[in-house]
Amino acid sequence: MRLTQEGVVFLLAAALFALFAATLQNFLTPGNMVALVRSVAILGILGLGMGLVVIGRGIDLAMVATMVVSVSWVLSLAQASFPLPVALLFGFLFALAVGLASGLLVAYATIPAIFATLATGLMVYGMGRAWLFEVDVQNTPAQSTFFTSLSEITVLGIPMMIVAFGLLSAIIWALLRWTQFGRLIYAIGDNPVAARTSGIAIRPLIVAQYVIASAVSFLAGLVMAAANSGMSTRVYNSTMIYDVLLVVVLGGIGLSGGRGSMRNVLVGTLLVGVLLNGMTIYDIPYTEQNLIKSIILLAAITIDSLVNPRDEQTAQQDLGDI
Amino acid sequence: MTPLLEFKGATKKFRGVPAIRDINFSLEKGEIHAILGENGAGKSTLTKVLAGVYQLTEGEMRIEGKPVLLKSPSEALDAGIAMVFQETNLVPSMTVAQNIYLGDEKLFNRLRGLYIQAQRFLLSLNFYVDPTALVSSLGAGKKQLVEIARAVHHHARVIIFDEPTATLTPEEKYHFFNLAKRLRDQGLSIIFISHALEEALEISDRITVLRDGELVVTDNTRNFNRDRIVQAMVGRNLSGELYGKDRQREARAYGEKVLSIENLSMGNAVRNTSFSIYSGQITGLFGLVGAGRTETMKIVSGVLKRDFLHGGNIRLHGNSVRYRTPSAAVKDGIVYVTEDRKLEGFFETMSIAQNIQMGKLATRSNRLAIVSMAEARELARVWSKRLGIRAIDANARVIELSGGNQQKVVIAKSMVQEPLIAIFDEPTRGVDVSAIVEIHNFINELAESGIAVVVISSYLPEILALSDRILIARQGRIVEEMSVEEATEAKVMYAAVH
Repeated sequence: MRLTQEGVVFLLAAALFALFAATLQNFLTPGNMVALVRSVAILGILGLGMGLVVIGRGIDLAMVATMVVSVSWVLSLAQASFPLPVALLFGFLFALAVGLASGLLVAYATIPAIFATLATGLMVYGMGRAWLFEVDVQNTPAQSTFFTSLSEITVLGIPMMIVAFGLLSAIIWALLRWTQFGRLIYAIGDNPVAARTSGIAIRPLIVAQYVIASAVSFLAGLVMAAANSGMSTRVYNSTMIYDVLLVVVLGGIGLSGGRGSMRNVLVGTLLVGVLLNGMTIYDIPYTEQNLIKSIILLAAITIDSLVNPRDEQTAQQDLGDI
Repeated sequence: MTPLLEFKGATKKFRGVPAIRDINFSLEKGEIHAILGENGAGKSTLTKVLAGVYQLTEGEMRIEGKPVLLKSPSEALDAGIAMVFQETNLVPSMTVAQNIYLGDEKLFNRLRGLYIQAQRFLLSLNFYVDPTALVSSLGAGKKQLVEIARAVHHHARVIIFDEPTATLTPEEKYHFFNLAKRLRDQGLSIIFISHALEEALEISDRITVLRDGELVVTDNTRNFNRDRIVQAMVGRNLSGELYGKDRQREARAYGEKVLSIENLSMGNAVRNTSFSIYSGQITGLFGLVGAGRTETMKIVSGVLKRDFLHGGNIRLHGNSVRYRTPSAAVKDGIVYVTEDRKLEGFFETMSIAQNIQMGKLATRSNRLAIVSMAEARELARVWSKRLGIRAIDANARVIELSGGNQQKVVIAKSMVQEPLIAIFDEPTRGVDVSAIVEIHNFINELAESGIAVVVISSYLPEILALSDRILIARQGRIVEEMSVEEATEAKVMYAAVH
């Protein structure tokens, strides 16, 4: 059997898991296991949206901005004594509008996704800070129990965050795997020109990718707000968007599109989760953690290309049949 | 006398599957050696080993009797072996002179000196190319000259041409043949890969035929004729079956006028062209490269973004239509089967079944519907049988198939869309002989069933074998129309070039 990058990463995660379990006393406790998954659940949820876009040969760098601003707006509206459902609806529509804008720029104005979404992300963040709310940390409204109860929900003892991650990954997995929409996304990611010539209306589908990614961002934001009793817009200035990409690429979804599935996101999230948790218990400083993460990413990609050398013939063809 | 270049028991395997097997091949100094074979016969692999792109798995390669191992194209070039590729490898944004001396520049590169040097060099080869011209402004024939000049400049003793005439006009072809002979007379050895047997017969001194990765025969060209080559290529006599000499066949009757194009113009490619397409017959669209055939048909099928449209009218069943996307055209029953299947034909990560099913999925409006695996399997079964798609494994990815089978998959993907007008652009380019027969039979069946079929081809025998009605394009316009009964190769070619 040939090892895929997904397999390599899974084995790596399992090995690290075994190592930490053997060397760290309080690693294998149920409490820590829950903490482990919680720490990466947000990253994982964002990874699901990003994974979908990357499979369709795009990239959405505006996800974190969308998440931060749409949910901060919801919280600030709720504090200004708007009814919460209305505030939620506004926030959700705002997120969709951002996705629509990114999608239209990529699909109809044919701006490379990396620039279009970088710009929409900056714009959304600027809009939020300038017009939608004033302080950079928004707390969950005290008068409503929505967020507190959301954070307390458990299903069979599993916290809401993890349930949300699991549920959402199942939904997007099924969407990609079974529906016509999913097949067409793979087709566009594999060969956009062929997809167009085959008569697929590719532009609306590209817009849909970004709209879905934005909706996923909004959900990730709600989960985050519930878990932290608030939302800090400073998250946008952190390395989070790169961590999301790390999860996606580490799991083995190729940036060239058309390959991989939500399972890759799960595997990538698992490795990052085990790694972060173990490093935190070891008390490794944040900066060094980042360094280790980057080395792991490089290692995963290198091992993949060693274990699965590109076929000489197809590698040639990629260069335009030398 | 030791040959200049020699293979002994050469084998090259990809993932354990041999692409060439136990080849014993030799190239003499000062000869033109043609290598012929169906697609997948191993021609490209053999030449890519020569050019240092691949390395042999077993066996050895000798230059002047000494075993060598060429690890990269640049080592091959150092050893005097240059390859002129099908799609040229020039840098389009640089001038001719810069391209010739590319990789050979002095530390302080004086352009004027370079141009003078290049001018002298080109004249010494009798090449009339302006050394200061940008490569992107040159035609295919001139580009080839620049590539050859570059090879000669690098002191090549062996020049390998991969399908050199595919993109040339007849006049450029004539020049190319003269040039090849002149290079040979200067003592260079030339390897010539082609699918046009007549060219090989005309130009080469010796011919080697490959089949399924094995060398079938090497012999002097005068001992060959067309039939013997075809027989060696396919292992049976197909010459008559293909391009049947039943020139006396009757053209199918005109059906309904389905499509009429009136005064269509776009940029420099399509100039005020008008013609009609009828159901139940095959309309052959012949012309030289650059005659605007593909562009015209891509406008009709909505594939081309019509940024430079200058006007004109397309009528489908008398109603004026203007497609901005292929999706709209497909819904109205117009499909375009591309000439470049890798670039805009198939999905390489997907299986045969998934590729074919994509044609169905493309236009279904319910995006959330569950994709039926049973439907995919059934489509694959029906179309594999109908078109003769042969794969070792039904789940094989399309990228792993031969050119002929890939083409059949691309055709099937369009045909499941149940078109009223089917446009085939170079349907048998890079396709092996037996697949050509199957594809031609299928295209004939389509016409019999009442569909309006358009075939674009640059290969005259194919146009004459398939069409009921021939449209001849020149410089962006349909200039002549004739039925197959009155058409001869000479007449059609005359119309296309004059």
